[in-house]
Amino acid sequence: MTIKKLIEQIEGEANIYFDMKDGVVDFATVSFPHFRGLESILKGKHIMDALVITPRVCGICGHAHLMATVGAIEDAYKNAGEEVLLNEKIQNIREFTLIMEIIQNHFKWIYLTIIPSLAKLSQSQEIQTPLKGAFGASIASKALATFAGQWPHSSYMVPGGVTADPTNMEILKAGSYVDELISFFEKEALGISLDKFLNLESCKEFNTLEGDIRELEKALAQEEMNKKGFSHDRFLVLGEHNYTTPSKLKQTRAFSVDAKYVEDVSTYSPKEKSYAKNAQYKNEYYETGPLSRMMAIGFPIVKNMHRRFKDSAYSRVMARVFELAYLLKHSKSLLQSISIDELSYVKTSDINNLTAIGRGVVEAPRGPLIHEIDIKDGIIQKYKIITPTQFNIGSSQKSSLTPAQKAMTGLTQEEALFVFRTFDVCSVCTTH
Amino acid sequence: MHSKQDKRPTLLWIQGVTCNGNTHSFLNLPNIDQLLSKFRLLNHPSLAGEYSFEDMLTCKFQCDILIFEGTYDPLMKRGGVLLSKIVQHYAQTAGNIIGLGSCASFGGMFKASAPERNSGLIFNEEKEYGPLLKYKAKVINISGCPAHPEWISYTLSMIAAGKRVQVDELHRPIELFSTLAHHGCTRNEYFEWKVDTKAFGEKEGCLFYQQGCRAPMTHASCNKILWNEVSSKTRVGTPCFGCTEPNFPRQNLFSTKTNMSIPVDVPLGVSKRSYLTLTGIAKTFHVKRLEGKLIDYKKTD
Repeated sequence: MTIKKLIEQIEGEANIYFDMKDGVVDFATVSFPHFRGLESILKGKHIMDALVITPRVCGICGHAHLMATVGAIEDAYKNAGEEVLLNEKIQNIREFTLIMEIIQNHFKWIYLTIIPSLAKLSQSQEIQTPLKGAFGASIASKALATFAGQWPHSSYMVPGGVTADPTNMEILKAGSYVDELISFFEKEALGISLDKFLNLESCKEFNTLEGDIRELEKALAQEEMNKKGFSHDRFLVLGEHNYTTPSKLKQTRAFSVDAKYVEDVSTYSPKEKSYAKNAQYKNEYYETGPLSRMMAIGFPIVKNMHRRFKDSAYSRVMARVFELAYLLKHSKSLLQSISIDELSYVKTSDINNLTAIGRGVVEAPRGPLIHEIDIKDGIIQKYKIITPTQFNIGSSQKSSLTPAQKAMTGLTQEEALFVFRTFDVCSVCTTH
Repeated sequence: MHSKQDKRPTLLWIQGVTCNGNTHSFLNLPNIDQLLSKFRLLNHPSLAGEYSFEDMLTCKFQCDILIFEGTYDPLMKRGGVLLSKIVQHYAQTAGNIIGLGSCASFGGMFKASAPERNSGLIFNEEKEYGPLLKYKAKVINISGCPAHPEWISYTLSMIAAGKRVQVDELHRPIELFSTLAHHGCTRNEYFEWKVDTKAFGEKEGCLFYQQGCRAPMTHASCNKILWNEVSSKTRVGTPCFGCTEPNFPRQNLFSTKTNMSIPVDVPLGVSKRSYLTLTGIAKTFHVKRLEGKLIDYKKTD
């Protein structure tokens, strides 16, 4: 018997088709019914216009798309024999704003998605506070906009640098927004200090927490999510950043990676046409996102969790909470390392003469985001986008399950629907 | 769930072809809880409403205010139901309809997904066209890519208070769209004395002459009320792309089309000849203060 479920509030919609056997999911396929055709919209446009168009792929992670576009253009310069050497100031400002977007995403995911979904699963009557997530996200967006002018849909990163030339005033102001965010997170979510939280060594110590995360963790344990939602125990990180390490992990064994080995393949979606494609690395499916990134740097508490609960839904959810905390702290040091007297932009040769291919790879909130361009005299001949949700939420045959398909197998329908959301699904990105 | 005495207007937020940018812009609104408390939220793309999205698709309900985000595609289906059916059903009895963002207002970014059939609710770019023309008197367009959260807040609050929202010929609230994005730009001196910016990443110079800035031709209050309460595109050296206008997105967004080094498109309402004359005169004044760097960090070390 196949049961169709319409999934909403995932930055768009998707349908899951469950094949049930003995009351649990035997096999699930996923389809994304909407199509927007951004890759073909980009074709024939000036490559600089991509800086305005690609952030509009996605309202929640458009900044990551902007950075992927800029990365692809700078890579094209390199392939054409002109390396664009970015100074530390440019790199730090870009990293800071990217991280602020990840933080806003995680705040929303915790309060607007995961806590309510878990409450629904456990039929809890707790009053929901989704606007805490919106508030946290809005403060992160302020810090982001201090450099990028606005969020969503900034275009302040350009090949060779950033358009902003901040003074100490802006840097201090951004720092005070991060401080405000840390206080809010400590007070509402943790009940202990950020440093204490980051230094926890074992999951057993979670009972020292007092805020919303304590309730979240308790509910996860109650629903036995530490024994459910396992994927392939394979993790993939591709973006080069100073808060994680590009690598693929099979369990805890790490291997080096190169984004050129990523390919997208057709989805298996027998019940309905899907506009998504599955992303693979060397013909294998990997989980991407916060759990993968925290495993790649061997973050102590996440490693501890993984040792005990593997890549369960519990580990996936809690790793994201830890990533949020870790990035809050990391962003402070980025701000401190901005040297005000460096240039915000290094001049490149005329982009109208640029003929080359290029690839930009960024760790977006949900994992690796890849933009590949082919440009001739500054005009886009071909533009290809592969998004993190394509890695996590592909839909494949039973013999080669994608991470989300694998994680939903063997669960009740209600559990499977919750586990689906632990991947933080982005429908609009998937079908770009 | 609401009680029978709950007299607050009902609000439904439906999406067409979209990136969710307006939804996320709205979530940045500082007083979002106070604003939402004025309405009964039936369903929303990311906030919990009284009903599920599937309930809404049955078209057995009605709403007082319909917010539509995204480009309208008559062949699109939401949850298996034709968008045209959903939109027509709720529009029919809604007292107010809001076309939210430039996609819903004029077609915007995702008009290009299917240019032969996609449009805004009552405009295809600046031409009257769209599924809700027969209800155009109750349609308010809040253009922008995305729309500013305060613009959404203003419009909803006016409706909740029973006040009339006066609109321009493109159905945008006049109080929000009568001024230009240029108003409040911190680079105004450079604009006045026609000093171009030399490159990206500079505090100095005007972005209008080379970098494609559309602020002097774009109706919006971005530089007056600021984004995220802190900044704006031009304040961080990014040109305005004219995202609130019906012709967004234009092409070659980072460059200004010029004729004899004068922009082909001149500030709104100014005659080309006058602008040419004024520019010529202004350029003869060499304002030394505006020609160099404002701050030299190396020197002050």
